[in-house]
Amino acid sequence: MCPEKVVHLQQTNNNIKDMITIGQKFPECSKTAVVSIEKGKEFETITSDFMVNDDNVWTVMFWWPKDFTFVCPTEIAEFNKSYNEFRDRDTRLIGASTDTEFVHAAWRRDHDDLRDLKFPMLADTSKSLAEDLGILEPNEKIAYRATFIVDPTGIIRWVSVNDLSVGRNVKEVLRVLDALQTDELCPCNWVKGEETLSV
Amino acid sequence: MRGFFIHIHLKIMNESTEIINEILQSLGIDISYRTDSITLLEKGESRYLRDLKLNLASILTSEHLSTKECALIGLSTAINNNNPLLTQFFTRYAEEQGAIAAETAEAAGCASLLASNNVFYRFRHFTQKEKYGQIPARIRMQLMMKPVTGKEFFELMSLAISAVNGCEMCVNAHEDSLIKLGTTEERIFDAVRIASLVTSAGKVIF
Repeated sequence: MCPEKVVHLQQTNNNIKDMITIGQKFPECSKTAVVSIEKGKEFETITSDFMVNDDNVWTVMFWWPKDFTFVCPTEIAEFNKSYNEFRDRDTRLIGASTDTEFVHAAWRRDHDDLRDLKFPMLADTSKSLAEDLGILEPNEKIAYRATFIVDPTGIIRWVSVNDLSVGRNVKEVLRVLDALQTDELCPCNWVKGEETLSV
Repeated sequence: MRGFFIHIHLKIMNESTEIINEILQSLGIDISYRTDSITLLEKGESRYLRDLKLNLASILTSEHLSTKECALIGLSTAINNNNPLLTQFFTRYAEEQGAIAAETAEAAGCASLLASNNVFYRFRHFTQKEKYGQIPARIRMQLMMKPVTGKEFFELMSLAISAVNGCEMCVNAHEDSLIKLGTTEERIFDAVRIASLVTSAGKVIF
């Protein structure tokens, strides 16, 4: 469990966007992300365009409140350990918070568990994406521990949000991904009197 | 009279060996290759050797399939049938006919995936129990989403493999799906014909 201090936050509901939910399009965005700690190769731009693709690539985006302080890097390290599991499921993994890319890069360099991260850390510095997703905590303006599964058409298929101090179960994310992806695409799945599946 | 008999006998024996050699050469296999079954056919001077040779030759081309497609269906069937010698032959043949690595890979993937589907869906069809239809299969088949050989051809390979594996409803479902995609019955027929004759050849060459 997280050793960090749990800060109790008072809920205020003025001008806070509703959280985005399943069946909705993932918001448009273009953000800088940290992809490496190698000098000159640290940053890349990630746009929401790649979420919509013909290559059947899904996206899992998971958020944490703050670099260095709130989040247990163990949770991020857990996602990293399962990186190949996401790859096998044609899924692109993206970590995100409202910290800047420079804070992300510094945290990656600083922490043993984060140095060889295989997925990008997105920097939502303007907090616009977290706001569009409706996962911005109203007082501190930091993101909740939200996880999104986005299908290859850019539609959100699963949302899970934990309060700031509650860690996630990566296995659960994989289980949901499996359930969403296994569509029994084979016409063998045909039952008499039913139309065959059209893919 | 006795001399004449021996003469005929030797002539026929040579012919059997000759036909075996021709079959082996056409498959790129050393002519010294023998399985127990080939030895039996050779010793008994079986007329079947001629059938075997002509049947094998007849699946390399088709009026309704390109030579590459013939080769890929042959390859997928050979892999489904765990036949290393025919797998090697059809891999070479497919490459000669212009198949790229992603296409021969798909023939292998199709054989393996359909083997699971043929067992699994055949079970569902056999029992026809509602309960088994409701539990998710949890068999990943993303390969079917965007086949490099094209949706229609992947269906055709799937049908051929399902026919070999004897899954009645899989065969009907793939056939139905192909007809809806506009495939001619002649093309479907030839695909199954190739799969049946590769299976047949695999009984003596493996």
